[in-house]
Amino acid sequence: MHNGERVKVLLIEDNPGDARLIAETLRETPGGVFELACVEDLETGCERLARGGVDVVLLDLNLPHSRGYDTFVQAYARARDVPIIVLTGLGDQELAVRTVRDGAQDYLVKGQADAHLLGRGIRYAIERSRIQRDLRRLNEELEQRVAERTAQLTAANRELEAFTYSVSHDLRAPLRQVDGFARLLIEECAAQLDTTARHYLERVRHGTGRMGELVDDLLALAHVGRQELRLRPTALDRLVTDAVAELELQWRGRSIEWRIGRLPTVPCDPGLMRLVFVNLLSNALKFTRPRDRAVITVDQTTARGLPAVLVQDNGVGFDMKYADKLFGVFQRLHRAEDFEGTGIGLATVQRIVHKHGGEVWAEARLDEGATFFVTLGASPPQGHAHTS
Amino acid sequence: MSGSVVEILLVEDDPADVELTLLALRRNNLANRIQVVGDGEEALDFLFCRGPFSQRSFEEAPRLVLLDLKLPKVDGMEVLRQLKGDARTRAIPVAILTSSKEERDVVNGYHLGVNSYIQKPVDFDQFRETVKHLGLYWMLVNEPPPPSAFGGGPS
Repeated sequence: MHNGERVKVLLIEDNPGDARLIAETLRETPGGVFELACVEDLETGCERLARGGVDVVLLDLNLPHSRGYDTFVQAYARARDVPIIVLTGLGDQELAVRTVRDGAQDYLVKGQADAHLLGRGIRYAIERSRIQRDLRRLNEELEQRVAERTAQLTAANRELEAFTYSVSHDLRAPLRQVDGFARLLIEECAAQLDTTARHYLERVRHGTGRMGELVDDLLALAHVGRQELRLRPTALDRLVTDAVAELELQWRGRSIEWRIGRLPTVPCDPGLMRLVFVNLLSNALKFTRPRDRAVITVDQTTARGLPAVLVQDNGVGFDMKYADKLFGVFQRLHRAEDFEGTGIGLATVQRIVHKHGGEVWAEARLDEGATFFVTLGASPPQGHAHTS
Repeated sequence: MSGSVVEILLVEDDPADVELTLLALRRNNLANRIQVVGDGEEALDFLFCRGPFSQRSFEEAPRLVLLDLKLPKVDGMEVLRQLKGDARTRAIPVAILTSSKEERDVVNGYHLGVNSYIQKPVDFDQFRETVKHLGLYWMLVNEPPPPSAFGGGPS
């Protein structure tokens, strides 16, 4: 509705006396911009609405073929975008309020609306309806944009993970061949090789070995990204015990004091959470290697106001100014000749924990050990849980 | 091909991998008669005694098929599907020997009836150990299917 334009009002009212009263009141409104059409039953009214060009509906609820609230519901269903003002009798205000709650723009009590009130009611109803329509449209556009972006992001992620997977996968065959033939040279052509040649070949084999680890860790990382969470109530104690057993090669023959406290049972993906503990404990074992006696603690605690699990060691620790680099792919805080590693383990840990809606972070001091904290389910987990 | 019975059918298209696998098998004297085929179509011709292999008989089945998955023409899964879907070849032990251990491949392999699934290790020593164990088991420990296991027509 713009200034100066005629406002087309459709009155649906079967009582000729009431209709005449409304018509007269409308004529008396200042400015006199209202153009009134009047029909006597809902069916005719809806047909008129379907033809379009109606700016506002004045609706009596008690009509020849429809009564009360039902009249409003039918009219509203047929004309979502046209504001409706319900006309009601003195005793029906409760009903009128209900229609307003469910989509009517306003109600007027018959006989109480003078020209001023009616005119203002109509104008406000039209404006409110227009604003609501705009809001709804904006909201729909926004939702559509979010859906499009999400789809793009999901597709990009899937592509990236497929890429990581196939690259890693296809890299393995040539690596095996380089390693294999280098090994065969060392074994079968030993007589023709001097010390330098053998040294170079060992370097080749060392390189392929490192590359092999990188590829395998990248594959694991890609796998975590692609995998859907399968949440089940899981005793974390069990996962820690499994992880310790799996890492036996790393600690056999060393002096290690395991301090494993009682851990809670939480909903999580047991396969992925086991990987979290394997990575954290493997790190703890690695960085305590210079210690005569390693002390590794796994316990529950409260951190950042949430129930958490901590993994603590008395190893070489690290400088907290590098803490933000800890969880990046290929980021390493130690030199390869001191502590081997691909720099992918903690990235994998973080990806798993984030997938569970949790957080992982570390506190440490150089040469004084490190403590990793894991919280789960601070926010709803991503992806869908398998409830079966 | 000579008249002697093939013990292992190696289905592998990468010549370097063929060489390394043969070295590993021969080093342990695990198989003297190994037939190498370079793609899935040739593998099917061999197994179903067709084309260049029409002189073979179904009863002279190999003791083991070592099957790569990524193959030219017909891929390894399709070779497996046809082999395990036919009564004349179903009893032949098949080990998938491949770079991939993607869950989908492992699941499909077992659903199609593969007898073993092995990811080739990158480390050559481990690879050699793996091939050795594989050969020892299927050539020496395992009781092979008797000729009557390869009877009947397609089912």
